Amino acid sequence: MPKWGMIIDLNKCTGCGDCVTACKVENNIAVVGQEESANGRTMLWMDIITTYEGEFPNVKVRHMPRPCFHCEHPPCTKVCPVGATYLNDEGIVAQIYPQCIGCRYCQVACPITVKTFNWYTPEWPGRMAEACNPDVAVRPMGVVEKCTFCIHRLQKAKEQAAVEKRELRDEDYVPACAESCPTRAISFGDMGNPTSKVSQLKRNPRAFAVGEDLGIEPKVYYLSEVE
Amino acid sequence: MKKLILFGPVFLIIVILAVWFIDGMGDVVQPIQYNHFVHVQEEEIECLECHQYAEDYARASIPNIDECADCHDESELEDEEEMTSDEDIIRQEMKRQEKKILFAYMAQNKKIPWRQVNNVPNYAYFSHRRHVKLGGIECVECHGDTGKQTTPIVRPHETRSMAWCMDCHEKENVSNDCYACHH
Ligand code: HEC
Ligand code: HEC
Ligand code: HEC
Ligand code: HEC
Ligand code: HEC
Repeated sequence: MPKWGMIIDLNKCTGCGDCVTACKVENNIAVVGQEESANGRTMLWMDIITTYEGEFPNVKVRHMPRPCFHCEHPPCTKVCPVGATYLNDEGIVAQIYPQCIGCRYCQVACPITVKTFNWYTPEWPGRMAEACNPDVAVRPMGVVEKCTFCIHRLQKAKEQAAVEKRELRDEDYVPACAESCPTRAISFGDMGNPTSKVSQLKRNPRAFAVGEDLGIEPKVYYLSEVE
Repeated sequence: MKKLILFGPVFLIIVILAVWFIDGMGDVVQPIQYNHFVHVQEEEIECLECHQYAEDYARASIPNIDECADCHDESELEDEEEMTSDEDIIRQEMKRQEKKILFAYMAQNKKIPWRQVNNVPNYAYFSHRRHVKLGGIECVECHGDTGKQTTPIVRPHETRSMAWCMDCHEKENVSNDCYACHH
């Protein structure tokens, strides 16, 4: 079984936001209004966390793209009373919408706050609803959602590989964020395979993970910036 | 007593009507009285000739005017067939009526608004290619003997539910991980 993981090279990341947009469009993520956004109800599966260091005029801006970390010891799945979120065999933390009762325990349990709750029935401005991705469910009001590593792409890739009678290769399955990144800062692949690109990058001395001290064992790693 | 005798049959009729009505409630109405039997059994047309994508894509596809036009055109309406009995005449007339509807759509170049009756919700992934080509499962196993059907398909062959998918997967030793189907 593969263990899907991601490496994000902060040295290459320019903070352009392409991954955020690609993710939003790919996954039919609802658009909430300005007012709701101010209330902290913005819905993003991939977010860019921007931090500023130093005093003007010597300011250093840092960007950190943040998808779901798909932890090997996810705190969110342990609190779900109905099994709507769980860690599957391929290392993806699943979110099964029709099973979700909207209690939002998992949202509270997540130390990196990747989970968002659908406060409303999703709506899109104008004719954007017609541009929804048919491969991805439109989540109803009252369920929690988050990054799925574009699971619908994996489902299709597996089928395509089976039709071509071969094993699934790393390049068959790439989430929308990694695909869209103009500087190729995001790498994606099988972390269980020691020869894969992500496994090699993980051994890079610059590699670090956020939240390792919490024992959650994330499968999203970062390569730190070189000054 | 007299009232009861009168009431009995009336009550029975109401019950029968109610059962008939409730039974048909989930059914859809198709725009043309499409007849699978004539095409599949009498004319021996393969399922894949009309449902072209069942082997290669997720959706099997329902044929529309372009495909119908491969075989049907307006001149058919003039064909006179030998009619011996009253039943034949009625049958011919019904056929002509349905064909007229079809030709009206074709003349206006308008799609026939078929109603899809087999549906999985958008949060689940179902692919015909996976089952027909890779799994080698016959249409009959999931859709019943469609070729025998003389009226349009107005309801799924059997109750569609997740348990139906999972039962077969269990038997066939296929993954039943939630994320195999849900997305
Ligand atoms: C494993 C069960 C299964 C098999 C085998 C199967 N189907 Fe289906 N079929 C379904 C399900 C489930 C749906 C609903 C799919 C959806 O909503 O996307 C469906 C939908 C359809 C539809 C309507 C929607 C569409 O996909 O365009 C057609 C037509 C159809 N099937 C024809 C066929 C034909 C022809 C075959 C044989 C070549 C076949 N099916 C084999 C389960 C099956
Ligand atoms: C591969 C050829 C072929 C295709 C494609 C085809 N048909 Fe037919 N159809 C026939 C033949 C042959 C008959 C029987 C002879 C006749 O009645 O003209 C028939 C008969 C019919 C009838 C009369 C059925 C009855 O009650 O006896 C209708 C209505 C009809 N077709 C509609 C359609 C529609 C709608 C389509 C497109 C979705 C279609 N056909 C596609 C060959 C075809
Ligand atoms: C000549 C074309 C033609 C052939 C051949 C044909 N079909 Fe169809 N089929 C249609 C049309 C048109 C419809 C839509 C009308 C209806 O629902 O009855 C349809 C509908 C269906 C549906 C229902 C789709 C849905 O969910 O709404 C199924 C299932 C189906 N066909 C299966 C089959 C199978 C199995 C075969 C082979 C035994 C077959 N068909 C052969 C034209 C065809
Ligand atoms: C009649 C039996 C049968 C039914 C009913 C059935 N399946 Fe399957 N399914 C199979 C078989 C057999 C395979 C494996 C095909 C192969 O060899 O690749 C499969 C494979 C799959 C896969 C790929 C699994 C993987 O390992 O990645 C998915 C997804 C799937 N089915 C979804 C569904 C859904 C959704 C339904 C119900 C709407 C359904 N199936 C109903 C027999 C069935
Ligand atoms: C073989 C494919 C498949 C698998 C595996 C699967 N589901 Fe489903 N699930 C479906 C389909 C198809 C539906 C839609 C059924 C319908 O038409 O209502 C569904 C519907 C549901 C629903 C809505 C209510 C219902 O039962 O119809 C819930 C809740 C659900 N699934 C939870 C789960 C959970 C939890 C798992 C993992 C333990 C799981 N599913 C695994 C295919 C699957």
